Amino acid sequence: MSNPFTLNGGTVLSMKGKNCVVILCDTRLGSQYETVSTSFPKIFKMNPRVFFGLAGLASDVITLHHKLRFHVNLFQLKQERSMPPHVFSKLVSTTLYEKRFGSFFAQPIIAGLHDDGSPFISSMDSIGATTEPEDFVVAGTGADYVTGACEKYWEKDMEPRQLLKVADKCLQAGVNRDAFSGWGGVAYLITPEGVEKFDLKMRQD
Amino acid sequence: MYTLEKKLLEEPKKTSFTYSERNAHLLASSKDLKKTFLKTGTTIVGMIFKDGVVLAADTRSTVDKIVADKNCEKLHFISENIYCAGAGVAADTEHITEMVSSRLSLHSLRSGEHPRVVSAMTMLKDHLFKHMGYLTAALILGGVDATGPHLYSVWPHGSVDCLPYLTMGSGSVAAMSFLEARYEDGLEEEAAIGLIGDAIEAGILNDLGSGSNVDIVVIKKDGTRMMRNVRKTGTISGDDE
Amino acid sequence: MQESAYSFSLTTFSPSGKLGQIDHAFAAVAGGSTSIGIKAVDGVVLAAEKKIRSELIEKESVIKVAKLSKYCGVTYAGMGPDFRVLLKEGRKDAEAYRVRFGEECPVSEVSRNLAQVMQEYTQSGGVRPFGCSLLVIGKEADGKPGLFQVDPSGSFFAWKAACVGHGASDAQSYLEKRYEEKLGLDDAIHIALLTLQESFDGKLTPESCEIGVCGGKYGSEFRRLTMEEIDEYLS
Repeated sequence: MSNPFTLNGGTVLSMKGKNCVVILCDTRLGSQYETVSTSFPKIFKMNPRVFFGLAGLASDVITLHHKLRFHVNLFQLKQERSMPPHVFSKLVSTTLYEKRFGSFFAQPIIAGLHDDGSPFISSMDSIGATTEPEDFVVAGTGADYVTGACEKYWEKDMEPRQLLKVADKCLQAGVNRDAFSGWGGVAYLITPEGVEKFDLKMRQD
Repeated sequence: MYTLEKKLLEEPKKTSFTYSERNAHLLASSKDLKKTFLKTGTTIVGMIFKDGVVLAADTRSTVDKIVADKNCEKLHFISENIYCAGAGVAADTEHITEMVSSRLSLHSLRSGEHPRVVSAMTMLKDHLFKHMGYLTAALILGGVDATGPHLYSVWPHGSVDCLPYLTMGSGSVAAMSFLEARYEDGLEEEAAIGLIGDAIEAGILNDLGSGSNVDIVVIKKDGTRMMRNVRKTGTISGDDE
Repeated sequence: MQESAYSFSLTTFSPSGKLGQIDHAFAAVAGGSTSIGIKAVDGVVLAAEKKIRSELIEKESVIKVAKLSKYCGVTYAGMGPDFRVLLKEGRKDAEAYRVRFGEECPVSEVSRNLAQVMQEYTQSGGVRPFGCSLLVIGKEADGKPGLFQVDPSGSFFAWKAACVGHGASDAQSYLEKRYEEKLGLDDAIHIALLTLQESFDGKLTPESCEIGVCGGKYGSEFRRLTMEEIDEYLS
């Protein structure tokens, strides 16, 4: 059996802009070289301002998503407020580290807006070591390639439309060089005005 | 309510082993799992000077050969008067130091006093020893308490050294060369900051597991000064990162 | 049948729908020394009367107002030992919240958790209810000040100004007259001390009361005032 991290394939990317943030993923679900589904999104809306991307073993993506959904909903019910993105990020981190010696094979990415409209992104390894950079975060089988493209094209304080365009370009540049990702993509553009969802046009091979 | 976290506060040794059998099965023919963990190759240094303790670290974190974060924080807050520099698996250093910080803050709420460095050191080494080296955390712990300045290094298997100057991580040899040449007892604060900066810089330049910037924290009896990115050694001038 | 026939077990209702032991717990609270909390616009204050039974007791060792977490504090009326158990539990809960979510536990969450603990002791076998009511102050998630009362029955309420203990009913009517919206923290501290004075035998001294604050000029962290600081408010 191969590495569980790359068994199902998939890539997630998130980028910070000026008072906005974008999060994208491909939609392929595979079993090694065989494509099983082309409609397997890896981004989940946790609340109106927080989005959550997961790349890795599909069963763990689903399990972890459900586990976190439980906590986020409970938080909302108990405290009657939405969980802020940095709080959600910490929750993911502690949830992952709980299973230090039997980890989930998934790497999460968190994207969201704070109440004051400032953007937040973070990424983690599968046991919850968090990084919160000021530019972009990537996870999944195509991460190494996407990182390179982002490094070149990311700029400070991009406006929403430009941010979406750049992020799309970077994701596709990387994903098209990764055999285990692709077959369509989804993007969410989060601004103080609201959230827009886009289906990304992509190579189908 | 937060049953697991509460349990961790009382009995930090308990970590869930759920899924470990499944994982062993899944990983049977895949030997490179450890490579997917975020690591801090790292150069970390600690040193006692005239008025207290100074700790420093580089800011690169890696996953295998990839630089995962160019400006991460390796100086972990334990309490106002104690900090800890960490090398090894990032999640381990991060969460172990946080657990100790958490338990010490409950301790000082009870006692109404600042925690002591030995308490932090004992908690760290006990926790690491219990896990028999499976938690990959190499730490330099420093602080000033009621009994004066203290500096310890704690190794992944739970052994402890207590010396006036220490280095750890993949860049430790490069950093130690500077300390061996220039360290002396009772250094002034400015001289200590200069020396420790040079030592980290040696790691950044000569060790590929270390890179980017220099972080320094100075802990004295009358307060703590955290300085992020004191030197931007690995950065081209004009570049933001 | 007599009501008292059903008070052998706190988990048994009497025919009139009462849980005798809980009523007795409230009686223990009503016998305790008075504690007051007042919420101001920019902060919130706790004031507690301290009974020192003998001149020989080390006065600083008697503590009624305690820090629960960075931004929360608590005081009580009733049994001190029971309070300590709740304090320990509350501190642990607040710290566990901080570890899990990476932000300080809001005061409403602290109070809810304490109320939960107290409720469990009204429905479990082999235990008795807590013999104290709590006043919890601190910062809410949105940064605003909060004040809560938690009772032995497990119920909890948010107040603008609250009081528990033997002087509670007098203090409450006094507070209802004195309280106004848009109160500043300094004024709130003065009113709290005046209210305590109402039910106090003799004159209040820094040794016979304790004050805990958060907000205003004291910063958002919870802090107990020193004897010197209390003295300034009293004079």
